[in-house]
Amino acid sequence: MKHTAIVIFAILLVSGFCMLLFLTSGYHGARGSADNPYLAAGAAETGAVNLVTGIYLNYRLYDSLFELLVFSIAVLGVRFYLNADESQKPSVVRIAESPVVRIAADLLFGPIVMIGLYLIVFGHLSPGGGFSGGAVGGTGLLLCAAALGAEVVARRFHEQIIEQIEWGILLVILLFAIVPVLFGYTPLSDLLPPGRLGTLLSGGTIPIYNVLIGIKVFIGTWVVIYSFIHHRGEI
Amino acid sequence: MESINGIMIAIVLFGIGIFALIIRRDLVIKLLALGLIDSSSVLFLVSLNAEGDGIAPILYGPLAANYVDPLPQALVISAIVINFSLLALALVFVMLLVERYHTTDSVRIAHEVEKERQS
Repeated sequence: MKHTAIVIFAILLVSGFCMLLFLTSGYHGARGSADNPYLAAGAAETGAVNLVTGIYLNYRLYDSLFELLVFSIAVLGVRFYLNADESQKPSVVRIAESPVVRIAADLLFGPIVMIGLYLIVFGHLSPGGGFSGGAVGGTGLLLCAAALGAEVVARRFHEQIIEQIEWGILLVILLFAIVPVLFGYTPLSDLLPPGRLGTLLSGGTIPIYNVLIGIKVFIGTWVVIYSFIHHRGEI
Repeated sequence: MESINGIMIAIVLFGIGIFALIIRRDLVIKLLALGLIDSSSVLFLVSLNAEGDGIAPILYGPLAANYVDPLPQALVISAIVINFSLLALALVFVMLLVERYHTTDSVRIAHEVEKERQS
């Protein structure tokens, strides 16, 4: 027991010192447009006012694509392992429907989906983007599942079609990012006109990627939630 | 109170996460600790250069001098999504283990596995 305590103390010490060293020696951040290339030329080059979106969907597009691939594989794994054996499903008695949850879901579902759509569509102009907007939409569906029961919500989305849409969108995104490179275009800046800075139709292909990623994350979040609920029996 | 900033809080949270990850035996709490470590690293990266009067790098209006560097925040997006995927998948494996051994205690699960292997 004493031995483990010493080991733990050592690990804590080492990790703390690592972070402190990283803090003192490393990165101070280039602030202001004079010495930071992203701040100086980012908006003009990508066409996105929100520079964070400009970086992760233009300069570092392939980073985001592989991140999306990791997300898809995790969703696939969750669905595969949770639907592996249907035989020994535990029977959970559904809690009687509460009017509070029902009314709250009725009131909140519309605004939540609206906020999700706003975050997706305006991702290159304001804080937001495909990932956060899709997650917000998926949370709205979770609220709906809590109010109506997960099977009722799932019946409205036909599972086959959802699966095809999910993987089809992933294919479209990958083709969209790879095929222009084969023909000598850089994937984003040459494909569409950049538009006027700060308007909705600007940023080249960034809004398109945002919408595709948003739909993908929305479906993926719902699939994860539904797999957990379905495995348990009911919410 | 000047020294308490996001970076200090992140380091403390990181320590708590590592500690819980090692010393607690419950698998679900281990996963919570993993989430804590991820959150602390996100906080660390975001607050690395966002001290003082830095403002978010969304360029409306004339170009001011104190926009923060957008690069760490763009990297944080990947960290958040990958952590979500990791936790979901790990939780599934914990659920499978619990259905088989009827406990979330990692030491007892190890004992059970050892017993199964010997028999």
